Amino acid sequence: MKTEHSDHFASIDRVAQSFAAVDYIASSAIATSVYLGFQLEKPILIEGPAGVGKTELAKGMAEVLDVPLIRMQCYEGLDESKALYEWKYGKQLLYTQLLKDKLGEMMQGAQGLAESMDRLHAHDDLFFSEHFLEPRPLYQALHQEKGCVLLIDEIDKSDPEFEALLLEVLSDFQVSVPELGTIKAKVKPIVFLTSNNTREMSDALKRRCLHLHITFPEPALERRILERRVPGLSGTLNRELVAFIQAVRQLDLKKLPSVSETIDWAKTLLLLNAEHLSLDLVRDTLNVFLKFEQDIATANEQMGNLLQQARKDAELSHASHA
Amino acid sequence: MQATLEDFFKALRGSDLEVHLNAQVDAARAVELVGWSDRALLKNALGTTLAKTTADRVLFDEAFDRFFCFDAFKKPTGSASGAGQAVPQGADQTNPDQPKDEPPKTGSGGPGGCQGSGGQALSQLLLSGDSAALAKRMQVAAREVGLTDIWFFTQKGYYTQKIQQAMGLELLDREISEAKRQTMAPERAKELELTRKRLFNEVRDFVERKLALYGTAPTRQLHDDFLQTQKLSNIEKRDFERMHIIVRKMAKRLAERHARRKKQRVRGQLDFRKTLRKNAAYGGILFETFWRTKVVDRPRVIAICDVSGSVRQYARFLLLFLYSLDEQLSGVRSYAFTNHLVDVSDTFTQLPVEHAVDKVIQAVGGSGTDYGQTLLDIEEQLLDQIDRRTTILFLGDARNNRGEAHTEVMRLLYERARRVIWLNPEPTSFWGLGDSEMKRYAPYCHIARQCNSLVQLEGTLDALLRTHAAST
Repeated sequence: MKTEHSDHFASIDRVAQSFAAVDYIASSAIATSVYLGFQLEKPILIEGPAGVGKTELAKGMAEVLDVPLIRMQCYEGLDESKALYEWKYGKQLLYTQLLKDKLGEMMQGAQGLAESMDRLHAHDDLFFSEHFLEPRPLYQALHQEKGCVLLIDEIDKSDPEFEALLLEVLSDFQVSVPELGTIKAKVKPIVFLTSNNTREMSDALKRRCLHLHITFPEPALERRILERRVPGLSGTLNRELVAFIQAVRQLDLKKLPSVSETIDWAKTLLLLNAEHLSLDLVRDTLNVFLKFEQDIATANEQMGNLLQQARKDAELSHASHA
Repeated sequence: MQATLEDFFKALRGSDLEVHLNAQVDAARAVELVGWSDRALLKNALGTTLAKTTADRVLFDEAFDRFFCFDAFKKPTGSASGAGQAVPQGADQTNPDQPKDEPPKTGSGGPGGCQGSGGQALSQLLLSGDSAALAKRMQVAAREVGLTDIWFFTQKGYYTQKIQQAMGLELLDREISEAKRQTMAPERAKELELTRKRLFNEVRDFVERKLALYGTAPTRQLHDDFLQTQKLSNIEKRDFERMHIIVRKMAKRLAERHARRKKQRVRGQLDFRKTLRKNAAYGGILFETFWRTKVVDRPRVIAICDVSGSVRQYARFLLLFLYSLDEQLSGVRSYAFTNHLVDVSDTFTQLPVEHAVDKVIQAVGGSGTDYGQTLLDIEEQLLDQIDRRTTILFLGDARNNRGEAHTEVMRLLYERARRVIWLNPEPTSFWGLGDSEMKRYAPYCHIARQCNSLVQLEGTLDALLRTHAAST
């Protein structure tokens, strides 16, 4: 994986360019972490508020490298039979039935018990072999011929036991199946873990990962993201919209609007053929990026100020841009 | 370069950020990849490898900015030099790590290495006002004398002296005395003395900054150790804040160790894999079954804390501990009393710690402890919540103002609860003396122990939670 794709990862700027080509605008912090994660072959633990593009980053990575993305959503009670592998019990049972029928045939002409046993031993133990193995995401990720991007989403939702199971995958890119032995990755996958910080991860896990905290983007970066993601948007509206969202993030809200909400809002405004932000327009579409009744009320109260500040900021950024 | 990185790790430790060895290795490799030339890039690269949580990242950013700031010499304010303008003030932004680029001159220069790399005498440097070169020499000298090992403020003078010597103070002194002897150059002697003073000030400031960078962690550790073993009643008010932090850490440690204990239960979801495996021998007929369910067995604790005047000093910390435990463990109910029982769990969940503890003491505290009445209250209010999974934790001195002891309630609790634990701040020899009822309560406790420092508190609670586990 490393040598094959080294052109995308020659430098940090190159990483940012490669991601921009697949419509993911990476800040320099993100680009640096991705670059180092790739070069040092280390998983990246991504933290940050919901909707800032943690999962998108992994998707973007898969697109840049043109390899499959294997995604594993974590939840409470996730265990190895759902994450790693499971035996195909039905098939195993059929196999024993089959074996029973064939046993007489195999043993034909055998002299005494000892010879029968010898003959039995001569047969391979197929029962626990890859033919009977049902691969799950982690196992699949290690078996990709051309490598893959493995996304372990919302790792904080899983149990500590599962975290322990992951350690081997994260540090050595291998898993141990008791019946088969250790299975090594054919090509080391690129691993991303995301966490919303509902609980603290164990030290052992943190130690194996690089840490990346994605925050809400700067205005300039957010404008670039919108340019990419919502192509039809006019420059003026883009500036005003971003300035408004940035102002809203200063409020004391239950859930601050994220990049994904900005994009949703931009798409909405585009559909409504808006050229400028107006009081009524914002009021009517507030629920696109604010998800709590209480937050909407707070924003409504401050609407006049917010809009004014947004217009001022937008002009400022326009002036500085020009 | 390696030395600079190692110094930086030391500085991080000084900011209470523990850096693991393999994080250090990663950081070194990352620096190799990104180089030293771009400050923002270096910060990102080191940050992503060294800081492992968002909170750590904040600490890291602070430490980075403090460490990689340019320790520039101030420009002479006097008329001593006109050439001082040669070095622009902005040097610290454009070239943050420049002074560290200098490879450490191990041995070769030796102490008094004024004749080292540059070869220029210290006096010349000082007079010319070449602040960049001076800063560089100061850095080199600092590394020579091992400034990163600085611990205490008392070492400031020692290191200041050492660094000055390593920068070539001896030669400067000789020059000064020589100039004094040559009577025709009193001007020069004066000027040199002035620069010498400036040098001293600069180096001392530099050492102070470094002490803040490297010295805080070890000193704090020492202080923490002291606080943990000190009698709780002797701890002074100014240390309360630090105590909060220690207690919270302690509670977190305890909770982590004990919160998630699981018990296999013979019910719930079928463990298909295990069952089929076992039953393959019976031709796939489910003969023996295995179940997946695990029950999280969290300790259920009822903590009852005396906050009366006689134990007020302890009560603060006991409440603090309860508060922290409440944060970490679910299933802790906290009560406080002087002469009747008050449920304080809600106060704990609603208010931040400082307010909560004060509020409880204010609302409940007072004099006239009545253990008897409190026990009756417990019997009335809590008895139906107490079963064989409950641990009851008393914190108090059992000084009952000669009131009715109501030991029969204690006996009831003893029989019903999994454990009754009594932590008493008084030493065992005082139990039963005066109005202490401890001797009469103790037989109805599974554990009754003296407990008046944080270490004792932690030890007891750890034992409590562990034996709790063993007996399930």
